[in-house]
This record gives sequence, C-alpha cells and structure tokens, in this order.
Amino acid sequence: MSDARRRGLGLALALPPVVLLAVFVGIPVVLAVGFSLGHVGGLNATIARIGTDTRVATSWWGTTQAWADVFADPRFVRDLVVTVGVTVVSTVVVVATSLGIALNLRLRGGRLATAFAGLAVVPLFIPVVIASWAITTFYSSDGAVRTAAALVGLDGPTWSYSVTAVVIGSVWTSLPFATLMASSGLQAVPDAMIEAARDAGASTASLVVRVMLPLAAVPVVIATTFTAIGVLGQFTVPYFTGPNAPSVLGVDISKYFQSFDRPQESVVMAVVVFVLASGVGAVYVGTAFRSAQTAGRA
Amino acid sequence: MRALLLGRRAATAVLLVLVAVFVLGPLLWLAAHAFATRWTYPSLLPDGLTLHWWSVVLEDAQLGAAVRNSLYFAPLTVLVSAVVCLPAAYAFSRFDFPGRRLFLVGLFATNAFPKMGLFVSMASLFYGLHLMNTVAGVVIVQFVGTVVFMTWIPAAAFSSVPRALEEAARDAGAGPLRTFVRVTLPLALPGVLVAVLMSFLAAFDEAQGTYLVGAPVYMTMPTEMYSLVLNYPKQVAAVFAILLSIPSVALLLLARRAVLGGRLAEGFQIR
Repeated sequence: MSDARRRGLGLALALPPVVLLAVFVGIPVVLAVGFSLGHVGGLNATIARIGTDTRVATSWWGTTQAWADVFADPRFVRDLVVTVGVTVVSTVVVVATSLGIALNLRLRGGRLATAFAGLAVVPLFIPVVIASWAITTFYSSDGAVRTAAALVGLDGPTWSYSVTAVVIGSVWTSLPFATLMASSGLQAVPDAMIEAARDAGASTASLVVRVMLPLAAVPVVIATTFTAIGVLGQFTVPYFTGPNAPSVLGVDISKYFQSFDRPQESVVMAVVVFVLASGVGAVYVGTAFRSAQTAGRA
Repeated sequence: MRALLLGRRAATAVLLVLVAVFVLGPLLWLAAHAFATRWTYPSLLPDGLTLHWWSVVLEDAQLGAAVRNSLYFAPLTVLVSAVVCLPAAYAFSRFDFPGRRLFLVGLFATNAFPKMGLFVSMASLFYGLHLMNTVAGVVIVQFVGTVVFMTWIPAAAFSSVPRALEEAARDAGAGPLRTFVRVTLPLALPGVLVAVLMSFLAAFDEAQGTYLVGAPVYMTMPTEMYSLVLNYPKQVAAVFAILLSIPSVALLLLARRAVLGGRLAEGFQIR
C-alpha cells in the first residue's frame, strides 16, 4: 500500500469516534463557553429563555457580566476554594498511598504486599453511586465507625455530610487507578538497576527517590493528573457524602441549573472547572510527549 | 534484628487491616443492611434478620424495569463503542496520519470538561436532534464516557504486538485481514477485553446523563438508585446496591488477571 493510501485509510478509521465526540461533546462545550459569555442565540435560545437573570452579549465577542456575577458571589469563591482544597488533599493522599502500596509490592513483595494491591483495586468495580452511599452510611451518626467507637466507650466522629467525607469518598474511588498505574510503573524498573544501586551502597530511601521514582515518573504523573481531573469535576461522591454548604463545584453546577434555575451561572462554573482541569491535563500531555520523544517514538 | 523484622511485619499487618476496613468496611456495612429488620445505634448487630427487603425490591415493577434497562443499555453501548472505536484504535497504533496525536489527546481532553456542565448544554443539542427519551440518545450519552477506554487501551494493546510477527504472517502468504484476525487480534485480546470491561463499567455506572436523556421513559439502575436513597428505607437501597454490584463484581473475577497485569496502565501512555 502506498504511503498516501495508508495515511488516508488511517485517518478514515480514526475519524468515527473523533467526529462523534466532536458533535456530542465538542459542540456542547462550545455552546457552554458561548452561553457563559452571553451568546443566547441558536441552540442556546431555549436554555436562555428558561433561566433567570441571563446576561446577554453586548459586543461581538460577548460579555463578562455572567462571569462577574459568579465571581462576585462569596459562596462561589468559598466553594471554589473548597473544591481545589478537596482536589489537592485527595490527590496527595491517593498518590502517596498508591506509591506506598506499589513500592511495597516491588521491593518486598510477598502475600501481604499482593493483598494490599488487590484491596486497593476493589473500588474500581463498585459503581460510584453505591460507593458514595455506602461511605455515607459507614461514617454517619449511626454508622459503623461510631458504633465501633461506642463499643469501647468512645464518642466517635460523624464524618458523613462533611468535607472530610468528600475527601474519603474521592480517595476511595480514585485509589484503584492510581495504584494500577504506580505498580505497573514500578514493576517496569529493571531488577538490575535496583541491585546496582544497592551494590553501590544506596539506602532504600535514596534508591526510591533517586532511581525508582524517576524511572516511573510518567505513570505516576498520569495517575496524579487523572485523579486530580476526576476529583475536580466529580458530582456523585460529593452529592451523596458532602454537606449542603460548602459544596464542591460539581454539585454547584447541578444546583444552580436544576434548583436555582440559573443555567448561565452553572455553565460559567463548568467552564471554570474545565479551565482548571485543562491546566492539570496539560501537565500530563507534556510529560507523556517528552517521554515518547526520549523513547524515540515521536 | 529479628525483633525489628517482626515489628515491621506487625506494622504492615496493622496497615493492611486499616486499608481493608477503609476499602471493604463501607461495602460490608451496607450489604449487612440488606438483611436487617432494623438497626438501632449503637448496637453492633442488627435487631433481627429478614429477607423481606429482597421481596420488596424484586416485586417492584419499576425497579425490575430499571434492572432490565441497565442490562440492555450497557451491553448495547459497549457494542456500539467497540464497533466505532476499535478500528480507530488499530489506526492509532499502526498508521501514521495527519492529526494522529491531536486526535488522541482530543479524545482524552473530552474528560476534562465536567460532565454535569456538559449535560446542561447537551440538553439543548439533544432536543434539537430529537434524541430526548430515545434509545439512541441514552446510548450516545453513555458512549461518550467509554471512548477513552475503547481507543487508548486497545491502541496500546495493538502496539504491543510485534510487527515482525505480522510481517512473518504476510510473508507466509496471509492477506492483511487474515493476518489481523489470526495474529494481531488474538495477541491484543487481553487489552481489548480490559477496554470492554472498563467501557461496560463506565456505561453501566453512568447516571446523570442517562437520567437527563432517558428519564422518565428509560430509568436504569444507577438513576433509580438516586431516588431510592432518598425515598425508601435504607435496607431497600442496600438490596438494590447489592444487585447493582453483581455484574461488575462478576466482571472483576473474570478479568482480574488482565487488569492487574498492567493492561489498563499500559493503555494510558501516549505513543
């Protein structure tokens, strides 16, 4: 087959999912960004009519009035801070835990280490709705944690419907993917490298920091970015486990649209989350490309 | 030295118990509620045991319909996703064409926009295209969440098949289609299966979009779960939660080796 024909065939095979996503995700995203800037014509007409206090574009590119409305609302600023906080804390806990499990598996191995890794993957197979609700029941005022504490005469904490529960739920649901990425990255570190570093007198700590983590950098960065993006925009976990206020932006988007009937503000918040997530995603794409180049695949 | 080693083992064991409680505790606690008559705090055990809640769920026509809908839409979505995405995955792996990298990253980038915000403006589009309350509409909304799995993971799986093997088959006289079916596909199959599994979970789990497009005509198990939690006793939701977990847990047992073997992780490295 000629090169030109191969290129054409490749493009033709690759196009269907790209086109479908362009239509069913790309167009809504463009509509959303346009609507947040006050473009209320075309497909946005219905949503603009049913919403209250919709700001309308005053120039060819739009208006920042809806954005100003949202950022002037102290509740939004508070929720934005909470969302970023929950994301940072959850991501740090998830990455640290998954690295611990993966390092234990690579350096010490054995039945216990395998059991750890196996446990950490379980949440992958539990629907998020159930997980969130199970966590809410477990940490509620009549839940297992308080019951166990009461048995030994203690007054246990009630974490359900608090930001703590949102972090717990986020960690729970994100742990499997991060663990799989971290263990596969660390398993790929050659035995010879580890032995050479040990022969040269490296302690376990310096072996991990100087040799193993740099070699597993790409999967770890992927785990970090996926976790952060997932937690930033999540809805189900905070909807079930979190408090009414402050809530995270994923829940606010739904509340402002369905309960407060302010679709434009909800769309502004969605774009804010999108911008934050894109920033995180750029780190991933950058890292992955650099590694592809050093591997000579670019 | 021995004491130190023993201490370390004990510490690891304690940590393991903590992780086990963290991961499994909520699930077991919830599952136990499915068989409880009542559960009064601070009793460690339920007041009594019963199967009553199971009959409540199994005899509820609405919940039965949700189970059927879920078992209909998720496999259908996976099938559509496989037909649309697997050829693309092969192309990403084996062909060099303009925009290849851009497309791969673009497919991933769709995940960065929060689903909830997407659905707000998706609704306008779906009304315009008359997709509301249709089977096609629900399948499309669930399909969106499967694309990354169904392109990236199989693409990595296809890439891991040595080209030399394919060339050898071609030299031995096999045509391109025969080479693909007899050589490439069998070797890439574990990766494809992981993609199918992840796509199934994504489709089966999808609730907000399905609710927006499908309700009230097509209610699935996750969408019912939202109203169940608010409107029924805790035990009914617990029964439903167990039912809802069965397909995923069955799949877990089937595909454990492939997922744990790094197929999933391999799929997310840009090539």
